[in-house]
Amino acid sequence: MVLTGLVVVYIGFLILTPLTALVTGAFREGLAASFYSLLQPNVLSAFGRTLFVCILVTALHAVFGMVVAWVLVRHEFPGKRLLDSLIDLPFAISPVVVGYMLLLLFGRRGLLAPILSAWDIQVAFALPGVILATLFVTFPFMVRELVPVLKEADRSQERAAATLGANGFQIFSRITFPAIRWGFFYGLTLTFARALGEFGAALVIGGGIQGRTETATIYIFHAMEERQYIGAYSAAVLLGLFSLLMVLSSEFLKRRHE
Amino acid sequence: MNKPILLLLAVTLLVLLAGCSSNSPAGSNGANDAAPGQVKLILGAYTTPREAYRELIPIFQQQWKEKTGQEVSFEESYQGSGAQSRAIIEGFEADIAALSLAADIVRIENEGLITHDWRSKAYQGMVSTSIVAFAVRPGNPKGIRDWSDLAAPGVEILTPNPKTSGGAMWNILALYGAAKRGKVPGVPADDEPAAQNFLISVLKNVTVMDQAARESITNFEKGVGDIAITYENEVLVGQQSGQTYELVIPSSTILIENPVAVIDAYVDEHGTREAAEAFVDFLFTPQAQEIFARHGLRSPDPQVAKTTQAQYPPVEDLFSIEYFGGWEKATPEFFGEQGIYTQTIAQVPGLNR
Amino acid sequence: MNSPGNPAFFNLSKTRPAASTGHLGLRSIALSYLLLLLIIPLVVIVRDGLREGLAELWRQITLPVAWSSIGLTLWTAVIMTLINAVMGTLTAYVLVRYNFPGKNILNTIVDIPLAIPSLVTGIMLVVLFGPQQALGAWLKDAYNISIIFAPPGIILALLFVTFPFVVRAVQPVLSGLDRAQEEAAATLGASGWTIFRKIILPPLLLPLTTGALLSFARSIGEFGAIVIVSGNIPFYTQTAAVYVFGEVESENRIGASAVSMAMIAIALGVVWLIKAIQERSRRVSI
Repeated sequence: MVLTGLVVVYIGFLILTPLTALVTGAFREGLAASFYSLLQPNVLSAFGRTLFVCILVTALHAVFGMVVAWVLVRHEFPGKRLLDSLIDLPFAISPVVVGYMLLLLFGRRGLLAPILSAWDIQVAFALPGVILATLFVTFPFMVRELVPVLKEADRSQERAAATLGANGFQIFSRITFPAIRWGFFYGLTLTFARALGEFGAALVIGGGIQGRTETATIYIFHAMEERQYIGAYSAAVLLGLFSLLMVLSSEFLKRRHE
Repeated sequence: MNKPILLLLAVTLLVLLAGCSSNSPAGSNGANDAAPGQVKLILGAYTTPREAYRELIPIFQQQWKEKTGQEVSFEESYQGSGAQSRAIIEGFEADIAALSLAADIVRIENEGLITHDWRSKAYQGMVSTSIVAFAVRPGNPKGIRDWSDLAAPGVEILTPNPKTSGGAMWNILALYGAAKRGKVPGVPADDEPAAQNFLISVLKNVTVMDQAARESITNFEKGVGDIAITYENEVLVGQQSGQTYELVIPSSTILIENPVAVIDAYVDEHGTREAAEAFVDFLFTPQAQEIFARHGLRSPDPQVAKTTQAQYPPVEDLFSIEYFGGWEKATPEFFGEQGIYTQTIAQVPGLNR
Repeated sequence: MNSPGNPAFFNLSKTRPAASTGHLGLRSIALSYLLLLLIIPLVVIVRDGLREGLAELWRQITLPVAWSSIGLTLWTAVIMTLINAVMGTLTAYVLVRYNFPGKNILNTIVDIPLAIPSLVTGIMLVVLFGPQQALGAWLKDAYNISIIFAPPGIILALLFVTFPFVVRAVQPVLSGLDRAQEEAAATLGASGWTIFRKIILPPLLLPLTTGALLSFARSIGEFGAIVIVSGNIPFYTQTAAVYVFGEVESENRIGASAVSMAMIAIALGVVWLIKAIQERSRRVSI
């Protein structure tokens, strides 16, 4: 069918050919060279840093995103609609702007500089800055996945449990959470995947300092600058593969559940 | 299934937060968190001398170990000189700044972060020099020999963005200086409007403006453009790593002088002053100067300059930033909001495809 | 129950008023999280942009180089959104209505852009279409078309990054459509195209628009891919995000804040539009 052919060509051109070019570029000098480049200490350090940031960010959003989603769905209060639209904002804001905002807050000449230096805390050009930047840009994912499933959740069971004397936490953990857990895990993987790929904000607030704030994506950027193409492409393939596996497995689970 | 999961999450969270604050650099607070008997130096440099520092640092580490028994580790950051300078002001606590132009060090000085007289070091604090030159394709198919060739129609030029890149600023000044000194055929000497017109005609041919000199030259290597205006040492380093482009030195160009300075505020805060000052002193030694020369930089040290003479042909008409009255005058005059460059780039709509 | 006068108003999910302290606790946690992460940074940048007054803010936004970067961002996003709307809908249609070998693989491929960091997207495109590569060189020599370091490269990068949005928005609605009307129309002699236009498309317009607007919103702030692929020439291929990056790293911080505010305003506008459309659809369907 013409239509199918058209779509296949479009997808092949848009998505598959660049991917192939990347993969062939990574393995141009053989599998061994590719693996060797990934085992360099600075590469391992960058990936380790990225993993740490991503796990922390995802864990924080798992807890607090749940709280925010809960409040949005189950509570009514003035300004709720405004808040609701603000939550989607990080999705549309440029990462550079995010990094800049954090700089204005936490930089040496920033708003919070006196407090930070009094307590001897470093945020800008240090890992906390990268963590904050990643927290900001991944904010919407958890909430946006949780809100619709929370809305759909059947409340009658919850009410029944309440009349039987269960407290809030028990109701949540035994009745509500199982009902929404697919949305929850899907949100987790989206958050993690987005956090893995964070670049612009982390670069502006973190500075990409090797051994301190150089994440995996920033490493790729630097490797390109140093003409270490095998290293750059290999790291890109690794990063892409990892997040692809996450996204795909959660899509798979989601479809199984439906 | 649910309560345990939440519990698990909460525990993970706590563990991570605990781990976060204790061992990772996230917990560090600017104080030197290296173990005793160890010291950590943070270097903030511009992009081009990367390879030189990669060679210099291990040598210094060994020398320092032999001299003091201390292990010194390095954290390095390489980005456009202007960007690096501003990062240091924003809170990037570099112990040593090695930048492309004096103005970027002065900026840090003006913030009160540098309080010693860095110019009192050898060669006015300039650890290396270079010149603005061109990288062209093998065989020089477009026959680019000098500045006037850059204005020819159909020539595609790469030069970085002066807002972030020190190299870009040197490029613009070299071009303008050559024009004003009457070294560009068709542009009379000391004729400002004519020089500005020449600048416009060259800017019209610019295809890509990268953030820093290194990004500019790597783009050139990817096949973009016919010529990259860049540091001579950038071209030489590229050639050393196997690139086949050719170096063309224009008849008139500017002497690029690269300063280096210890950042007093941060070394005192980190307690790394001794090691940092030793590192800077090391950079001025003949051994280090030879290494700089091996990586395409012209040494200000007259001895080293003499021994590496063959590599570095003299320039017909070499001028320096003093021709423009120093950076204090040149920066606002060219790159300020009413600056010559800022005004001209606005007059170059679109691009000469 | 739903009036502020009723003390149970704030206890929608619990029947015991004693849980209200827990509620307020929950709400304050949510609000503080939001405040810390979202609101304070936004306020900070607005404050910085207005530092020298509204007039200066406007002047910075309307500086020719800034204004042109905003314009470039907008028109490339619009073109990309239009292409994405069409191709995304087509893709969803093919995936839902047809069966062919490899369909599952194709369905999976749609999700790939979600997993690829945008920086990697930029690198891939340069590797593929750069002037030195076979494809790029051929396009340049044969047709004088430059993809990389020219606006088409921007559009291409944006298309890659936002591809799943329209497809995934349209797919579920499309697969839930009742085919009875279409079959009726077919027996009455309507052509495939008419059936599509009058029967299939209308219920898809809503998810299509939402998905398209999402991809538009996503592309306004795109940085990682574009900084690699576009060339960043002021007045030609420098988008607003890259302009802000340059300004942040330069002396003109207020220019960075000003254009950032403009971008935030546009993003807010689009997000509100999406919400409004979703609201309207919910009201209509009830």
